[in-house]
Amino acid sequence: MTLVMVVDDDQDLAEMLGIVLTGAGIDVDLVSRGDEVMEIFRNNPPDLVLLDVMLPGLDGIEVCKLIRAESMVPIVMLSAKGDTHDVVKGLEAGADDYMIKPFKHPSELIARIRTRLRRANSGLSGQLTVADLAIDLVAHQVTRGGKTIPLTRLEFDLLVALAKEPGRVFTRDALLSEVWGYHHSMDTRLVNVHVQRLRAKVEHDPEHPELVVTVRGVGYKAGASSGS
Amino acid sequence: MAGSSIKETRFRNSLAFKVIFWAVFLSLGIISLTESALYAKISDGIRNVKVDSAIAESQSAVFNAQYRLILSQEPTEKTIQQIIDDVVVNSSTIIGSSVNGREVVLLRSGGNPTGSKNYQRTSNLVDPSSIPGSLRQAVRKSKKPESAEITISYLSGNKIPGLAVGQNIVIPKAGNYEMYLVFSLVNQNETLNLVKNSLALAGFILVLLIGLVMWLVVRKAVRPVQEAARVAERFTAGDLTQRMEVTSKDEIARLGNAFNEMALSLERQISKLESLSSVQQRFVSDVSHELRTPLTTLRMASEVIHAARNSFDPVIARSTELLVAQLDRFERLLEDLLEVSRFDADVAVLELVEFDLVTLVERCILDLSLLASENHVVVELSHQQDIVMVKADIRRVERILRNLLSNGIEHSQSPLIRINIAQSSSAAAVGIRDYGIGLDADDAFRVFDRFWRGDPSRARVRGGTGLGLSIALEDARLHNGELEAWGRLGAGSHFVLTLPKNSGEIIESRLIRLQPEDYLSTPMYGQ
Repeated sequence: MTLVMVVDDDQDLAEMLGIVLTGAGIDVDLVSRGDEVMEIFRNNPPDLVLLDVMLPGLDGIEVCKLIRAESMVPIVMLSAKGDTHDVVKGLEAGADDYMIKPFKHPSELIARIRTRLRRANSGLSGQLTVADLAIDLVAHQVTRGGKTIPLTRLEFDLLVALAKEPGRVFTRDALLSEVWGYHHSMDTRLVNVHVQRLRAKVEHDPEHPELVVTVRGVGYKAGASSGS
Repeated sequence: MAGSSIKETRFRNSLAFKVIFWAVFLSLGIISLTESALYAKISDGIRNVKVDSAIAESQSAVFNAQYRLILSQEPTEKTIQQIIDDVVVNSSTIIGSSVNGREVVLLRSGGNPTGSKNYQRTSNLVDPSSIPGSLRQAVRKSKKPESAEITISYLSGNKIPGLAVGQNIVIPKAGNYEMYLVFSLVNQNETLNLVKNSLALAGFILVLLIGLVMWLVVRKAVRPVQEAARVAERFTAGDLTQRMEVTSKDEIARLGNAFNEMALSLERQISKLESLSSVQQRFVSDVSHELRTPLTTLRMASEVIHAARNSFDPVIARSTELLVAQLDRFERLLEDLLEVSRFDADVAVLELVEFDLVTLVERCILDLSLLASENHVVVELSHQQDIVMVKADIRRVERILRNLLSNGIEHSQSPLIRINIAQSSSAAAVGIRDYGIGLDADDAFRVFDRFWRGDPSRARVRGGTGLGLSIALEDARLHNGELEAWGRLGAGSHFVLTLPKNSGEIIESRLIRLQPEDYLSTPMYGQ
């Protein structure tokens, strides 16, 4: 069974989330304080964390950083704030995705959670290379010169999406649908922030990216894969 | 022309200019009055001296001549002629060769014994007619010497200003004659000219100096005023920290202190108001946020119930549907309220991307196609260009378009909605035209008001928040664009969105006319 940790201080909402997720066949661990998260997380590692931004004890963004420091588990932030500032802060802290309360449909939440839990590109096998990066699609590992670069599942998916079709320019919308499973979101900030994070991990010089290249006015593409 | 008139206005509006202008103008008057009085005095003085000496000279000359004529023994015509020649030659000096040059004119007075010889003569070819009749009359009647200013004409044609002094003289056997001594006034006139020119020059310099001094004084006096005006202008422009520098203890300083006190109290008032309104906005924003969590729970609960509605009896099933629909509406209202509070708090920011407006409009039409077919509305799109690239906040532009289009579909009761896209080099526009119930011409201005309802007596149309159009307008304005509405009752309405191609630039013209071209303004339907 899949286990999702729901961190929200609103008892009623947490309970409701529990009902909906359990109904979808997902086990739920309810946590109501930010400062209790890490202990429970270590004792019973979940497959995904659903994390509210405003929490007593320790706020969601700090909790997100703590989880990210020791795990690549998918994190979906729940925010009552739709303001750019908060969303970007959450994403920069390491969240893979975010949902703004109230969600349109509970099914939307379930769909998002399933997308994040799904092993993306599981149909693919073998190796991909982007410049001096080796991407092992089976082991879900990215290595450079034999050294593993730790990537979150989402960052891995993003890199693979680009590397699968070297030279193809992906629009942000295309990436949103490919990697995040959105078919109708206009929020390209998600893509921008994650590209930044991916670059910070894989590029030699994130200021002058060579692996994930911006194509001005269009989107991104994987660079220099055939060159090496 | 325009430039010079601006300059004129600036001059006319300048305090310094006014003061200097009046100072120069008035001193010019005073100086010219003083100088002309001075000149009159000087010229009188010079003339009087000349006249006095001329009379004295003339008296002695005439006395001398008369004396010689009387004393001459056995006066014959020949001796008399000799004496007269002698007198004339002795009394005259050639004008021009000496400063006090003079001529002698001897004229017959009339009533002389018949047959007597005519001794009339002049020195140096002076024309006898130089002596005016009026002077001659005065001389004949008077015992004393008479004088007058004349113009001395020579037979050669020369004319010079002069002073004539005349006296009666009796020539034996030949009766009464008048003897005139004519003095040149060339020197005197030159002196007077010199005086006049000097006075004029002195006056001119004086006026210049007065102007200069006034300018210096006024500048010193006006500068603090100008400084005060500058500070006040900046203050008015919104910089509430502007204060006047007070360095002296004069009237300007009092003005400065008064201004600074006013500025301080204004600044306090404004910051008080600002903090009040930010508290208010903060409150709206907080309320909206706080409502979100319970709303999320409500929604999820209602969805769970809704999913099971098939097993309910019809009344409960319908109630569930209403519950879900109202939650939807509640949520939209909350969203709109939050958006409005962002606009009010001035924290709405544009996230600019480049995109094709045509594609976006097509997508909006596609998204709303279900709603359109439910309402039996046909949506037509026409555009001259296939691609209309703009740099704008796509989320906001989409929101404006969706809002206008869904409004048209749901509320206009029109069977047809026409969308038109146009562009110029700097702007792009979308016109959304319906042929439904339309708007009152006055209402076309009010549709953008918050919570405005078309007709208060009409039932509220389901679902709307009443904030959509006002948000759309704010969204358009945020791009420096414009959103305008036109409507006539029974003739439909027309909404035109004009956006600069690069957000923030100025839109110079309207690419789509607000009054639709397919609307014929006839008196019957118009207004």
